[in-house]
Amino acid sequence: MDGDIEISIDKLPIKRLDAIEENGTERFPSDVDYDEKRLNLIRRIDFGWAVEREDRSKKRKSEGTTSANESTTTNQHTGQWQSLVENLQFAQQELSVIIDLINTVQANDAVTVAGMTRPKQLPNELLSDLAVSTATKLQCFWHLGKYFKQSAAALEKQVAREARFYGALIRLQQNWKVKRHRLVAAASGNAGFFIDLFYNTLYDTSVSLRPSSMSTIPIEHDAAGMLAVNVPPNSCRSLRFEFLGSHSANNVRRSGETNMHAFSEDSSTETNKEHANDDECVRKTHSLLREVHRAIFDEQVFELVSREACNSSLSVNLTGIQENYLRLSINQGASVSISLLLSSQDNKTDIVSGTNSSETETIPSELSDWSKFREGKDNVKKLGFPNRISFEIYLQQLFHEYVFVRAKDKTSSSFRSLISGQQSKDNLNILDHFCMSLAHSIFSNKVLSELESLVCRTPYVQLISHPTWHSRTSSWTLSMKVPQSILHVGSQILSSGISNVKNVRSQFWSKVVVIDESISVEGVGDLNVVGLFNGKPESICPINRYECDLADLPIILLQQVASQVIQWLHEEALTVGIKVTRDFLSLAFELDHGEIASLVAHVDPEDTRGCISWWLMMDDGITENHKLHPDLSIGESESRKFLGHLSLDVLYSTLLDFVNLCSC
Amino acid sequence: MDPQSQTTSLQRLQNVEKRIVRVLELAGGVMDEMASQSGPRKEIANNHCSEFMQLIKDIQFALREEIKSACEYRPFEKCDYVPRISNEICYKKLEYVIAQLDEMKQTMEGYRNAA
Repeated sequence: MDGDIEISIDKLPIKRLDAIEENGTERFPSDVDYDEKRLNLIRRIDFGWAVEREDRSKKRKSEGTTSANESTTTNQHTGQWQSLVENLQFAQQELSVIIDLINTVQANDAVTVAGMTRPKQLPNELLSDLAVSTATKLQCFWHLGKYFKQSAAALEKQVAREARFYGALIRLQQNWKVKRHRLVAAASGNAGFFIDLFYNTLYDTSVSLRPSSMSTIPIEHDAAGMLAVNVPPNSCRSLRFEFLGSHSANNVRRSGETNMHAFSEDSSTETNKEHANDDECVRKTHSLLREVHRAIFDEQVFELVSREACNSSLSVNLTGIQENYLRLSINQGASVSISLLLSSQDNKTDIVSGTNSSETETIPSELSDWSKFREGKDNVKKLGFPNRISFEIYLQQLFHEYVFVRAKDKTSSSFRSLISGQQSKDNLNILDHFCMSLAHSIFSNKVLSELESLVCRTPYVQLISHPTWHSRTSSWTLSMKVPQSILHVGSQILSSGISNVKNVRSQFWSKVVVIDESISVEGVGDLNVVGLFNGKPESICPINRYECDLADLPIILLQQVASQVIQWLHEEALTVGIKVTRDFLSLAFELDHGEIASLVAHVDPEDTRGCISWWLMMDDGITENHKLHPDLSIGESESRKFLGHLSLDVLYSTLLDFVNLCSC
Repeated sequence: MDPQSQTTSLQRLQNVEKRIVRVLELAGGVMDEMASQSGPRKEIANNHCSEFMQLIKDIQFALREEIKSACEYRPFEKCDYVPRISNEICYKKLEYVIAQLDEMKQTMEGYRNAA
């Protein structure tokens, strides 16, 4: 024998000791089952070579398959061992089957095959599996393609919508401050944009204003994705300035007020003219924002006004205060109210009682009757109230200029002097200035109406207004011009006779200046060269200037005018060569035989036919009464004759008549 | 930044968005090609893909330009709210003056008719 013979010695089937312990107990190996005996026999057979072959084929298979669902090669080693174990189990099952088979064959039993494990797949089956997976992949591709196309279409629509939105937003951004809340953008579906309408004045910390609730306006999308700005319809208030008791006549609705429609109801019809709609939308939004901006400014003005009114001040008397309503009383006994009204309330009229004016009837605001409107206006004129709209605008302008504009320009002194007048204190009280302007305006209206009534009844006097560009100063001039006809005649006479004349005054002025509430009257005449003519001192007319009050104004002015007429007559008489003496309002002519005829002016502001009337008084020198006083209570007599209301021409011709009567 | 350049910048960004839409459409087209029963037609798929890449390049270029040229964020230093209110006040003054002139005209016509 060449080969090695391996001898394995079986253990004798007697129980042998496994181990013996110290205390003498013996340990025997446990009984082995019959199956286990068989298993042990099988295990002794070396199947290593078969197992290795199996492993190699399994490896090749796992490298060959490219299934997408399989895990990567890192799992290959564990897969190998697992397949080894599986294969061993299969082998064990097969062997047990074979052993049973042998046993049963030995026992001559019939054999039926119960079941078999799944054999390895044939190639065509593999291919059909591959075909199915390929088909599902194609299906996935097709779905993916559809998905891409759908999302492209949706994205295109979205892009178009957003283009409209952002295009409109950029146009708004050119005029308004557009800001964005990042947190809101994350939370809601909106982009979180809003428009900030607040502008704080940086001038004074004490003047700082709270931002109103309206200052931030959210920008939303409407149904079509377009920009929409929603403002609650009754949130905008406007400042209103009124005179209590006569507001009805002035309560004409301003034409420029925009109606606060709900702009959220957009035109939902998206026609081809989308661009036109977009323009419309942007324009509407602009005007809406303008309205809100103006409303915010009005609220700020009202707040500043109420702050100033509540601090005690000189000429501002706060008589009533409510929410959004202030009532002040002005010196002249007028009451004004400054209030914040909703736009819809503009047409309401309130019945206000307890004012000092006599005008208590209310006229309905929607005035279609022109005559009633005029009547209201005339009543207003009697009370001297100026137009309330102009003062409303003035109030707004004052606050705007002072608080907002001049904040940048702290060193401007002109405005300070405008407001604070003589005292240049640091705390400028705008409301004071406003109330004083208002009082002045009321007063000067009264002055003006007096002047007008005077001038109406004095035909040779003209009223000229001078703009002063100062809200607390007004000035007028009463001017009297000698008519051209007289000048011609005068020059003819002069050229024929007397030589020593230079210039006769042909223009006489009286100037009325109202500052705050004080009137000053000034009498001015032209340059007087004639004063040197006869060397008489009275020819130099002094410029009078004095203060007076409203009640005395007519008399004073009329007296001034009358004296100017007398002055003129005096000068003319001198140039013609009549011997005259002049008193304040009378001109005395020396006639032949020592008689004195006087032309006396009488002023009466109440006279409806004319303010200046003339009397002729004869004094024969015998009576003691040298000074001739016009005494109307006596009336006409032989020595007094009422001439009437004469024009300058008639007076001049009367003068010329005297030439014949006087001894030259 | 004048309004003219603003609108063109917006237009450029809008073009970028349009290109993105087109890119998506191309991707869908390629997928359709791949899913076709008879297999993808190579030329069409190639064309789509090359157009895709070209558009992506264009998008990237445009975005880079826009990001570089975007100006710094200045917090509303040229706010015109104050002159805007001046404007509103002037508008009201004009309205008032026009109303006064209309009244004067009516008065004159009244006198002319009466005379």
